Order: sequence, then C-alpha cells, then structure tokens
Amino acid sequence: MRSNTAGSVVRGGVFVCALLAAMVPGVGAAQSGSAALAGTVKDGSGKAIAGAAVTAASAATGQTAKAKTNAEGGYRLTGLAPGSYTVRVTAEGYASKEASATVRASGKQTLNFSLTAVTAAASGQELPNAPSAPAPASGAGNLSLESLGFTPQQMQSNSKLQARLNRRTEMLKIHQQLGLITVAPMVADLITGPMAKVKGKNGQILQQPTQANIDLHAALGSTTAALYFTTAYLAIFAPKIPGTHKHGAIRVHEALAFIHGPGMILTPILGAMAFQQEQNGEKPHGIAAAHGAVAMTTAIAYGASIIAVAWPIHLKFWRKK
Amino acid sequence: MKTKLSGTFLIAVLAVFLFTAALPAVAQTGNKPAELQWVLVQSTLTYHVSSPVHQVYGTSRAAKGKGYCSGGWCNFLIAAPVKSFTTGDTNRDLHMLEATRGADFPMVVVQAHFRQSQLNSATIDVDLEVQFGGQKAHYAQVPFERTQKGSAVEIKGTVPATCSDFKISRPSFLGMTIANAIPVHVDMTWRSM
Repeated sequence: MRSNTAGSVVRGGVFVCALLAAMVPGVGAAQSGSAALAGTVKDGSGKAIAGAAVTAASAATGQTAKAKTNAEGGYRLTGLAPGSYTVRVTAEGYASKEASATVRASGKQTLNFSLTAVTAAASGQELPNAPSAPAPASGAGNLSLESLGFTPQQMQSNSKLQARLNRRTEMLKIHQQLGLITVAPMVADLITGPMAKVKGKNGQILQQPTQANIDLHAALGSTTAALYFTTAYLAIFAPKIPGTHKHGAIRVHEALAFIHGPGMILTPILGAMAFQQEQNGEKPHGIAAAHGAVAMTTAIAYGASIIAVAWPIHLKFWRKK
Repeated sequence: MKTKLSGTFLIAVLAVFLFTAALPAVAQTGNKPAELQWVLVQSTLTYHVSSPVHQVYGTSRAAKGKGYCSGGWCNFLIAAPVKSFTTGDTNRDLHMLEATRGADFPMVVVQAHFRQSQLNSATIDVDLEVQFGGQKAHYAQVPFERTQKGSAVEIKGTVPATCSDFKISRPSFLGMTIANAIPVHVDMTWRSM
C-alpha cells in the first residue's frame, strides 16, 4: 500500500514536471532547433582570432549554445531554436563584445564580430609576490578603459605596425653592430695611411712606400667601405614608421651622415688618384692630395655620429671604482 | 476591548521588532566608511632603463585614472598609451615600442587596490596588477607616499617592475644588455569627486 502511494507520488511528480516543461515555451529547445548562427571573430586589423568563445543565450529561455572560433576566426552555432539571442564573444587579450541576433526558423544567419585588443592579459603571470585579490568595491564595476576616456583607436592593437617595428629593429640592430665593427678597419686604415704615403721634400720624392704597405692600406680601405655601405644600406632601407617626427640625438646622428657619407665615397676615389700619381713617380698633388684630410674628416664625423646616438654616455663603472 | 488591546499589542510588537531589526543596519551604516570617487588630474610616470654606459628615462604625462572607495576597499584604474612614454629621442622610443610589443598591446593598465582605512595615511601600501606588453604582473604592498595638497592628494612611489615580469627580451646598447630592473616612478595628483 505504502509502495503504491510512493509510486503514485513519483508518477505524479513526473507528470507535473512533464506538464510544466510542456507549458514553459522553448525549454530545452535551444539545442534542438534547426536554425544556425555563424560568423567570424576578427580584430580591428582584420586578423582572425582563433579560440574565441562564442556564447548565444536565448532571450526567451536563457538556454545557451557555445562554440569556439577556428583558425580562420569562424564559428558556427547549430541546433538553435528560432528566437532572439544575445551573443557574447570573449577572447583573451580583447574586450568582450555582445550583440543581439534574431534567429529565424530556417537558414543560416550571419553575425560577425570585430574585437578591440585592450591590454592583454595574454598569459596572466602570477608572480611570487602576487597579492590575494579581495572582491572589488561596489563602484569598481564602473572602472574600464572606456570610462577613463580612451578612444577605441588608442586601445586598438596594430599587428602591421608591430611587424614593421620588429623589422625596423632587426635591421637597425645589425646596422648598430656593423657600424661598431666598421670602426676597427677605419682606425687601422687611418694608422696605415702615412705608411702608404710617398715621403718627399720640395717636390722631390725621398722615399717610396713599400707595396705591402700600399696593399694593406688599400685592403683596409676596401673593408671599411664595404662594411660602411652595408651599414648605411640597413639604416636607409629600414622601414619608416608613419606619423613619427624625428627628434633628439637621432637627428644629429643622421645629420652627420651628410658629412661621412660623401666622405666615404670621396676618400677611395682620391686614394686611387693619389696611388696613380705615385705610380707615375709623382708626389700626390691637386685634389688627390686631400685624400688624407678627407679620410680624417670622414672618420671624425663617423665617430661623432656614434657618440651622438649613444649620448649621454654614462660611465657608471668608472664612478663605482 | 479585547480586539483593541490585541491590536495595540500587535503594533507594539511590530514596532519593537522593526526597531531591533533596524539597529544593526543603523550601526553598520555608522561604521561604514563613506563611498568616495577619485579622478586623476595630473600624472608623471617615468620608467628608468640602465646599462653600464647609459641611463634612459622615458616619461608619460598621458595617464588617465579613476578610483572608487567603497565597503572598506579602494580600487583604482590607471592607464596610459605605451607610445606616450618619451625619452626625448625618437629612435629610442621606437625601439621601446618594439621591445614592449607596444603596437600589439598599446595600453599599459594598472589596477590598484588597498584598504580604505589607509586613505588618510602618509604611506599607502598598494597591491598592483599591471598589464603591459601582453603580460600581467602583480606587485604586493608597494608603498606610496601620500601628501595632501589643498583639495588634491599627491601620490608618489616606485613600481619595482622588471623586464622579466613582462617577458620583455632585454635590448642591448652598444653591445651591452640593459639591466632587468625597469623601475617606474609614479607622481600623480588625485582629486575626489
């Protein structure tokens, strides 16, 4: 008897639940409909965001359907019941976005999202000194970058610009290294210069330089020129960053190139002329006689341009001693 | 008569009940610190990069911030565009922008959190969460000096940031790698609203 009563109660409960389920429209329908919602999730530059979580919540029932974006940023929510949905997209490093969509009984609706990279907590690094984070104050809900007054343009990531900056730095790093390396043969060339020079008095040749000295000087000059022009190429062809107005030491560094640049072209030409005159048994004369002075000016301008870009040099290790 | 009596009795019981129920709420409101809102009116944020032969200081005056104090806690949000930090040399600034992935992650965002009871202290120990270069780092109990300047409050301190906190691969200068520490000196003026 008791068992019968319990059985009646259970059957009654099941019946009531079934009745309630039937009365509430759309319960369980979010996953059982035939409609679909699809689209893409991209950033401001049009780059696909993979792995973004897309959640559609039915306005009528609150039932949700979820999907993740693929490598192309595409998502597809299937089995939706017709009706109004709130679709929310979240992706790490981007501000979440919400949009409303009305899903019709048949066919596929499209809803695309463009997310703004805020600041990215791409991999929240918990440091050893991480504080415990108590619950935020009630008013803290109003704290957002938008509420501070930053524009979406200011907060938007720019992957093309980042790629340009990376390329620029890559080229300028080699520019800096080669530029410093160039100093060695340049200084050596200045030192060997007098040894490759005809010595004389009152137009008379007293001592001819040895062929070895001339060859060494010429070889050092050629090495300097090769390194110099490679260095210059890297600076000239490094990508320019739009909207940048140059200021500071870099302007002095670049201005000095107008001295050492022509000097580096002129020095070997004058050197070759001087060499030719020496081969003819003459002491270098005319414009060729300026070879040494031009080379010296070039080297000084070159050294100054290195100091300019490095200025102010702080000799911290000296102070410590 | 009986009805009148029981009616009066009921009203009395209800009044006592309401009074008793309201007492803790009144007491709580009395102890609860007032809700306050703050806005950043002026700021200078300066990072310091050092190498054996060079010292670089990059400054931004473009930070914006707001803060709320409620329920015994204060939460502040301060943000500045990464490219607003300038050293006085375009080349260095562009290198900084590249090294910190400033185009991919254009904002440096700081969330500050501390107990409201510290609000009037000369030193405020603040828990900081800094989002920068696509990374998030926490700094616990960073001391900031607080000075009342009329209706405004001046806050000064240094955030002990390092390159490794934000996975920044350290650039080199004249062939020498910069130090890991990149302390950020903060000088801000806040006004309550």
